[in-house]
Amino acid sequence: MDLLQALAIGVMFGVGVFQLLRRNVIRTAIGMLILSNAVNLFLLTAGAYDGIVDAYTNLAGQRSDALPQALVLTAIVISLAGFSFVLALLYAISMRLGTADSDEMDRLKH
Amino acid sequence: MNPHLVLLPILIPLAGTPVALLLRRRPRAQSAWALGVMLTTLLVSLRLLGVIWSGGQPVTFQLGGWPAPFGITLMGDLLGVTMTVMSALVLGLGLVYAAGCGDRCITYPHFYPLFLALAAGLIGIFLTGDIFNMFVFAELLVISGTALTAISDDPNGTEAAYKYFFMSLLASIFLLIAMGSLYVAYGTLNMADLAQRIAAEPARQPAPLAMALLFAFFMVKSAVVPFHFWQPDFHAASPTPVSAMLSSVVVKVGVYGFIRMTTLLFVPVAAPLKTALIVLGVVGVIFGGFTALGATHAKRMLAYSTLGQVGFILVAIGWGTPAALTAAIILTFNHSLIKAAMLMLAGAVASRAPVKSASFDVITGMGKAIPFGGVLFFIGALALAGVPPTNGFVGKLTLFGSGIQAQAYPALLLIGVFSIMTLMYVIRAFQVIWWTPPAEGQKAKSKGDALLAPAILIGLCVLLGLWSEPLARLAVDIAGSVGNPALYILTALGGR
Repeated sequence: MDLLQALAIGVMFGVGVFQLLRRNVIRTAIGMLILSNAVNLFLLTAGAYDGIVDAYTNLAGQRSDALPQALVLTAIVISLAGFSFVLALLYAISMRLGTADSDEMDRLKH
Repeated sequence: MNPHLVLLPILIPLAGTPVALLLRRRPRAQSAWALGVMLTTLLVSLRLLGVIWSGGQPVTFQLGGWPAPFGITLMGDLLGVTMTVMSALVLGLGLVYAAGCGDRCITYPHFYPLFLALAAGLIGIFLTGDIFNMFVFAELLVISGTALTAISDDPNGTEAAYKYFFMSLLASIFLLIAMGSLYVAYGTLNMADLAQRIAAEPARQPAPLAMALLFAFFMVKSAVVPFHFWQPDFHAASPTPVSAMLSSVVVKVGVYGFIRMTTLLFVPVAAPLKTALIVLGVVGVIFGGFTALGATHAKRMLAYSTLGQVGFILVAIGWGTPAALTAAIILTFNHSLIKAAMLMLAGAVASRAPVKSASFDVITGMGKAIPFGGVLFFIGALALAGVPPTNGFVGKLTLFGSGIQAQAYPALLLIGVFSIMTLMYVIRAFQVIWWTPPAEGQKAKSKGDALLAPAILIGLCVLLGLWSEPLARLAVDIAGSVGNPALYILTALGGR
């Protein structure tokens, strides 16, 4: 289970960072979303999440910690709001500038 | 003593936000409401400061009655509450400026609610004693700040807002990973509890990772040099009352975080952090000076100057002696007042220019319509450069004094030489705006933004320069209290 989670986090980080560095701003926003989900998975793993065991069961040695799950819940809500805000901003920008290529968004250089 | 007092500076603007939204059809009532809310916040935080300062004891409040370290702790210690007072003061004056501002975005029904949400987020960061809670408040601050810039009259506002939001989301990801790592290593997110456990066992894995990422988070928040590139765009494109807040109090989030990291959280392993702060601070002073000198836009120049002025504060935190921390507090407080006033004045001049822009070729000579603004700008320029009789002088004097005491001569020499550049770029801006005659056919508009808010701020700068003893005494006491984290930890954990 640990190996599987580590691999999943690693792959999501890789994909997220790769998309983040693309020129198309919509891809970068999607990369950001994948990256924040990778972090959520990381937080879940930090709480020794087992997947089949409930939080706060009394079995010695194997119980999932509830706190990181609460943290992930909050982080999901915030990243949902943030992501929808990013999409709205991107919509406004690409309508105004007529492009989604970050290299052509250079009005601020002057 | 009533522990609820520490809750109020967060709760008042937070509760004021939906009410301001309900008043959206009545702009005047909305503006008066927002101003009243910020004024109440200021009075409450001043009262809180009075209680803590005279009592010598931090105030703590456990949300929902859960005992620390399990619940969320709100922690009003001398450092956090002083930052709160500073923020409430500057934010209140920002609202005064907004009331007299001719920008179209001020009339949008969402301007004041967003402004109050920004205030709640900022004050929340300074008063919380829980790292995850700090993340939530930081997100509130970022989202409302971004929205305020995106609605700016400047057509590049959305682009600048996106840039900033992108960086802030990345910073939040840093913070979340840092939190996860700290939780794996120490099993707690309460700052006092963390400090205690880190002090007991500093080398647990993956705490160094958490330390580095937390440091990176605060670097993005304060726009410390390698992470600064979004800052001039963002601060120059936002509406004047907002940019005056962003470049003065909002960048102090990182400064606050660095003080907490080096004096509370990572005390046993703080030496590399301090070295990094000194190096980054010196680089910031030099880089900020040169870029501000090369800027062709008044607001961008002031935003670049923030890089340099924050650099001075970082160097002081890096030295870390009580005298240097005193200097850091004084510089932080004074820079907030001065930079807010200067940006408001630059915005007021831009509001009278034929094209609404703060670019130097547009506003050349436009200051002649407002000679009073020129007087204020000149005093502000002296304060920023640290010339007596202004508060900037007191800050720089304590800084250089503490540097000599700490025997940190190379850094002292560098920041001493490059602090002269501050005087060069502010005086150049003054010359361009108020001395040079305007270009042929360019005439300043007769109506523009009101000068009441910058006048009050500059008045405070002069007052704090002539009568600096209370602030200096407060700063000495803050340096004493952050130098003794045991009291903070004891109070936060409920006296156990």
